[in-house]
Amino acid sequence: MWWVADTDGDTDAGSEAAGGGVGDGDAGSGSDPEYGSPSAPTGGLVVPVEPTQTLRATISHAVEAAVEDGFSAIHLVEIASWRDGDPGAEDRAASAERVLERAEAWANSDLDDLDGERPPVTVATELIGGDEYLFGPDDYVRVLAAYAEEHGADAVLLDPEYSPVGNTTLLQPLEFALSNTSLTVETAPVTRPTRRERLRSEATGKRSLAMFGFSLAFYLLLGDPFYWFDWVTGVATAAIVSITLSSVSIDVEPAIPRTPMRVLRGVIYVPVLLFEIVKANVEVARVILDPRLPIEPTMNRMRVIVGSGLPLMTLANSITLTPGTLTVRARDSDLYVHSLIPSARDGLFDGSLERWTRFVYYGRASARLPTPRERDDCAILQGPDATEELPIVAADGGASPVDEDDEAETEEVTGE
Amino acid sequence: MDALGTARVALVVAFTLLGLFFSFVSMTGVLRLPDVYSRAHTASQADTLGAGFGLAAVALTIGWEAAGVKSVLLLFFIFVTNPTAAHGIARAAFEEGIVPWTEGDERR
Repeated sequence: MWWVADTDGDTDAGSEAAGGGVGDGDAGSGSDPEYGSPSAPTGGLVVPVEPTQTLRATISHAVEAAVEDGFSAIHLVEIASWRDGDPGAEDRAASAERVLERAEAWANSDLDDLDGERPPVTVATELIGGDEYLFGPDDYVRVLAAYAEEHGADAVLLDPEYSPVGNTTLLQPLEFALSNTSLTVETAPVTRPTRRERLRSEATGKRSLAMFGFSLAFYLLLGDPFYWFDWVTGVATAAIVSITLSSVSIDVEPAIPRTPMRVLRGVIYVPVLLFEIVKANVEVARVILDPRLPIEPTMNRMRVIVGSGLPLMTLANSITLTPGTLTVRARDSDLYVHSLIPSARDGLFDGSLERWTRFVYYGRASARLPTPRERDDCAILQGPDATEELPIVAADGGASPVDEDDEAETEEVTGE
Repeated sequence: MDALGTARVALVVAFTLLGLFFSFVSMTGVLRLPDVYSRAHTASQADTLGAGFGLAAVALTIGWEAAGVKSVLLLFFIFVTNPTAAHGIARAAFEEGIVPWTEGDERR
C-alpha cells in the first residue's frame, strides 16, 4: 500500500494497479501481505475536497483505503481560496459547506454500505484557510499540513481533478510540495468518468466564445470592419486564438451580468486613473525640478483587500503607473510599495486606488470598505516614522517565510 | 472651419510641448535621483505622460481614422506594459537585497 513507508519508487501506473486491487478485492483481503503490518498507520486520512467530477469516486476510494488499512478517521477538508470578509466570501463559504456536507454524506453511506458491521471510522469535515489569502501550492500545503498535525492525520489522498485555484493546474505542484512534508501522499486511482470531456468542453465554451469575440473585435479594429476579406481572415485568426489560448488567458468563467459590468466599471475607472496619473505627475515633476530635491523615499507595506489574480494585478499596476508610488513586491495580499514623497505615500494609505479597484471588480457596495489607514493595514518600513522592520532579503531570493511578517505585526500591536 | 483647424493645431502644439516637458522631467529625474527605486518612479513618467501627450498629439493630427485609433491603442498597451516593466526592475532590485535610499545615505 502506498502509505506504508519506504515502498520503492511508486509510479503512477503502479499505484493505479494497487488501487484497482483495493477496489476489487473487498472479500478476503486478509491475504494482503501488508494488511495489518506494523508500519500501517492508525491516524487520520486527509482528503482535500473540491466539487470535481471525480470527487465521488475519490471518496469511495478514501473509505476503502481507511477500512483496509485501519485509518481511524477521514478528514474531508475544503481549503478556502478566498479570505473571510472578502466580497462574496459568505456565498462561497456557504457553497463550500454544501459540498462538504454532500461529501460527508457520501462517505457515511459508503461506510454503512460495507458488508458486515460499520467499521470504526469517523468522518470529519472542515473548511480551512479562510483567515488568509492562499496563493500557491506552498500556501495550500502549509494549511493542509497544519490541519493534519492538529488532527493527528498522517496521510493525504488527492482527488486527481483537485485544483482549488480556477483552472490552474495545481495538482502536480501540490504533490511536489506535499512530498516535502512528513505526510504520505497519494492521488486516488480513480477512473475519470467519460462524461468529463463533454463537461469540460462545455465549461470552456464560454471562455472560448469570449476569447473569440475579443480577438475578432481587436482584429477588425486593426483592419477594416467594412471589408469582407478582413472578416474571413479575422474569423480564422480568432478561431485559432480562442482554441489555443482561451484556457490560458481567461481564468475566471465569464458570467453574464458580472463580466460586462466589470468592463463598464473599468471604463469608468480609466478617466479616474488618468486624472490621478496627471496629478501625481505634476507633483513629482515639481519635486524633481526643485533645486533642493526635497524627496523623502521610504518603503511601505500595505495589506490590501482585493481578490488575488486580476484585481491584485490591476491595483499593483495602477499604483506603479502613478508616479511617486512603485509596487516593489506583492507577497500574498501584502503590497510592498516604494514611495518617493510623503504626499504620494499618504495618498496610497488613503486607499483611493484600492477602493476604485474594488469598485471595478465587485461594485459599489464593496468600494465602501474602510481605507488601509483606518484598517491599520499599512506600515512605513523606513525613515524616522518607521513602524516595522524592512524585510530585505539579500541572496535568498525573497524566499523567507511569510510568518516572519505576521510575527512582526503582532509584536508591534502588543507593543503599543 | 478655419477656427476649428487653428484650435486643433494649437492643441497639437500644446500636447507636444507637454509631452516634451514630461520627458524632460523624467530625464532630469533619472540623472538627479539617488537610487534604482526612485529612478524607476520617474522613468515611468516618460511613458505615462511623455508618451501619453505625444500620442494624443498624434491622434489629434491624424483625426478619426484607422491610424488615429491605433495610436490610442498604442497608448493603452504602453499603460499596461510600463508598470509591469517598472515593477519587474524594482522587484529584481529588492530580491537582490538592495536597500532603498533614505535621507543621509550616499548617492548610488
